[in-house]
Amino acid sequence: MLLAPFLRQCGQQPGALALVENGRCIRYAELLARSQSIAAGLQCMGVKPGQPVAIHLHRGIDAVIALFAVLLAGACYVPLDLKNPPSRLAFIIADAGVLAVLGTGAVPAWLEGGLWLDIAACPESTPTPVDTLGDCLAAILYTSGSTGQARGVALSHGAVWAFAQWASDLLELCGSDRIASSAPFFFDLSTFDLYAVLGCGASLHFVPVALSLSPARLSTWLQEHAISGWYTVPSLLSFLAYKGNLAHTPLEHLRFLIFAGEVFPTPALMDLAAKLPQTALYNFFGPTETNVCCYWPVDRARLSPDRPIPIGLPAAACELHIHDETGELWVRGPTLASGYWSGSCLQAFKGQSQVPPFAKGGLGGISTKQEAESPVCENWYPTGDRVSLADGEYWFHGRLGRMLKCSGYRVEPAEIEASVNAMPGVRACAVVGIDDPAAGQRPGLALVMEPWVTPTDIRKALARQLPAYMQPSRCLVLPELPYLPNGKLDYSRVQALIVDTAFSSLKYT
Amino acid sequence: MKEKLKKFIFAEVIYHEDPASFGNGDDLLEAGLDSMGIMRLIMFAEKEFGVILPDTEIEPDNVHSLDALERWIRQAGQAQ
Repeated sequence: MLLAPFLRQCGQQPGALALVENGRCIRYAELLARSQSIAAGLQCMGVKPGQPVAIHLHRGIDAVIALFAVLLAGACYVPLDLKNPPSRLAFIIADAGVLAVLGTGAVPAWLEGGLWLDIAACPESTPTPVDTLGDCLAAILYTSGSTGQARGVALSHGAVWAFAQWASDLLELCGSDRIASSAPFFFDLSTFDLYAVLGCGASLHFVPVALSLSPARLSTWLQEHAISGWYTVPSLLSFLAYKGNLAHTPLEHLRFLIFAGEVFPTPALMDLAAKLPQTALYNFFGPTETNVCCYWPVDRARLSPDRPIPIGLPAAACELHIHDETGELWVRGPTLASGYWSGSCLQAFKGQSQVPPFAKGGLGGISTKQEAESPVCENWYPTGDRVSLADGEYWFHGRLGRMLKCSGYRVEPAEIEASVNAMPGVRACAVVGIDDPAAGQRPGLALVMEPWVTPTDIRKALARQLPAYMQPSRCLVLPELPYLPNGKLDYSRVQALIVDTAFSSLKYT
Repeated sequence: MKEKLKKFIFAEVIYHEDPASFGNGDDLLEAGLDSMGIMRLIMFAEKEFGVILPDTEIEPDNVHSLDALERWIRQAGQAQ
């Protein structure tokens, strides 16, 4: 179902350009043919509709071919972040219960050979057609989990389709658009590139990785590729505005920029808005579980350096409500994920079936629900985000739980704590967020240890278990952890201790 | 200049197990310097050393080590 708009484009304009990566191009018909061959290969391996298949490829043409192959086989894809340590990748493979792993070349050392399918080795073939319904799973995106381990968010065909459809209408995507793509496929941002863009017959141009280090080269690349739109993260756009040589690179083809994943500091956004006066800017908001539930078309006249920007209005026919007591944002609507995928099965969100406590007067939110057109789920998802509603717009005020945002990645302190606590010689630990002008936040670690262990031992072990963005930037050894009078761990005290030590210490750590 | 850059980088931008052992020619990008780190480093260097680092010169070649950074910043200072 999710691929229906793409398949329609393949029929209508098979020769149109679909993907461009470092000079390599692939047209719609060829993309479909390659994906079909691999889909047939998956079916030969015995992969059945609904079963998870991992993608062991960096973002790019091959990865799109592989993702589409999985969907054509009726299966659901699990994109791996190849920067994760092997132990974490192995955990995800086991937790998801994948039936196959798609990649190129030799089998990675950490993986059991029987699951590997080299996409370059699949002979030309046509798969048995599979009928996929809206509630079938399309993708499982692993994020950091509050339960202490990586956790897969399971997205249905219907949920991704609803977002893609909404986004392509909002941005009036058309066949002549040339859209830049930089989001890895394990981030939900990528669903825009894959399904909204390729569903409209436009072309997708992969931003070379190295360009993120050279903003002036990045703007030249955007100019030379006549890019008309890009959905990315604020940090890259800040860098582009600050040092992207935009005064000499006007980017006149660039119709729109969308950003999401972290808060865009208003002064940097104003800089970008001033340097790209013709480009429409959009703030998209929502955890992976809701894809995008709120959006704000940036109103340049309202930007003020000392004020944050709103997250705006409900997106994609989502209904939003604010919890009366906690201010938590509750969401329901067609873009909502189906639940968490764990131990090879789907678990609905905790508390999802409850009716949320409405704000005073019974109306905590506004809705753009269109009863007749969009299927709306019965269930609500509590996002853990604290928001308010003022003058018809939503505003984000931070997280209610302990989740951190480090360089755009979700990081659950509980996952780092679980790894540290499992190490020999650790008596107790606590992980808190330390504000960081570059990454937004970074994890800070407070440790209580046996005398024969050093923080270096802990760091070395952590580096083997968790990805770079989850590594603590500061580490403090304490005789014991501070507790509140009610017996709960005093996380704000831990945070204060780590920050104080960092500033009073002359050492680099 | 290198000492100031080094102190800023290892206190504010990237974590390193043992900054004292990090040589002036060692690879900062491999040590974890990313786009946001480069942006902060440029903001710091422009303010601290009173130079303007031209947009078109922000390249891995100019930021990959403490030696390269110092050379680049000094050149930019002389050009102004």
